Amino acid sequence: MKRLTFLSLCFCLLLVGCESKPTLQKYFVENTENKNFMAFDLSPTILNINETKLSAEQKNALQSFDKMNILAFKATEKNKPEFEAECARVKTILKDEQYQQLMKYGSGSEGASISFVGDDEHIDEFVLFANRKDSGFAVIRILGDDMNPTGILEMLSILKTSDINLEQLKPLQEMLAK
Amino acid sequence: MKSKIIPSVRPLGLGHEIQKSKLLRLSKKLIIVMVLMVGAPLFAQGAFDKFDGQDDVTSVIVNKKMFDMIGKVKTKPADKEAQQYLELVKKLDNLKVFTTKSTRVENEMKATAASYIKSAGLEELMRINENGRNIKILVKSGAKDTQIRELLMFIEGARNEDTVLMSLTGDFDLNELSVLTDKMNIPGGEDLKRASKGAKGPKGPKGPK
Repeated sequence: MKRLTFLSLCFCLLLVGCESKPTLQKYFVENTENKNFMAFDLSPTILNINETKLSAEQKNALQSFDKMNILAFKATEKNKPEFEAECARVKTILKDEQYQQLMKYGSGSEGASISFVGDDEHIDEFVLFANRKDSGFAVIRILGDDMNPTGILEMLSILKTSDINLEQLKPLQEMLAK
Repeated sequence: MKSKIIPSVRPLGLGHEIQKSKLLRLSKKLIIVMVLMVGAPLFAQGAFDKFDGQDDVTSVIVNKKMFDMIGKVKTKPADKEAQQYLELVKKLDNLKVFTTKSTRVENEMKATAASYIKSAGLEELMRINENGRNIKILVKSGAKDTQIRELLMFIEGARNEDTVLMSLTGDFDLNELSVLTDKMNIPGGEDLKRASKGAKGPKGPKGPK
């Protein structure tokens, strides 16, 4: 009996331990349905890449890239307090040590940052966060499997040559245009 | 500590009280010292961080991780220029740039920079005055004359121009800087170039030693 209580206690602790840390993953899941938000999942097909033309390195880089999740908050006159609250929430999440910040840009009314998860040569995830006072904010997660810096450069070179299919991004563009 | 206090105090009879208050004072001091010890490097690091996020300030911060990551990019061995650049990037720690148009912030920057220069022991490398712009470049040198641990640049803007405060930390050579200014779009890059050229000369305007 005693052992059972101990075990269940351990189990509870484990659950609590998992629960306490807010991650972007959770944040995305929680807010996908929220009407203030827009969510997109993009797959590499958006790039419209003709794979036969790629070099071996480029192919590798492309394979390490998995998908891209975008969550955007559209600011309007009415949802200002929510905007600020959500913005602050994302910022707190990104302060967690698993998100290592690479670069940050900021001015009074807008800001952006790039962070990553993983270590230098084995990157699991890139997180881009951009916000502007009057239009809203967007969190972009680029998920991959063992991405590395060289691969990212390759990806960029692919992007240059690719014929990006922006159809998937239309709503986002419309939002930013406002 | 404790054992020293007890024998000298006990004969007075009030031993317990005195010992307590002494201990209390001691621990207070200890806490202050500890806070200072832990905090000092933080303050030094973040001397300019207060400008980050201010309304009239545009800031760009590049962290060590970024430089590390760029440094890990594999280049073709034939590309000498890129390799030189990567070699330098690996030696960098932090880049912080703050620009503003507001006079209030400018004055604040000036004051913060002045106190930081004193506390961090930066030496003036060069000073340029042209068209109402006042540019100061300061460095903290390492063991060798041209080895730099920190580079601080302050550009006082003329009317309607940006005031720029830039801090670059790492462990690099002054002569390598031109590589950086060529590749990176840093404000005041041209002036920095002049600074690194100046150092190449026969022991130019650098300070003693």
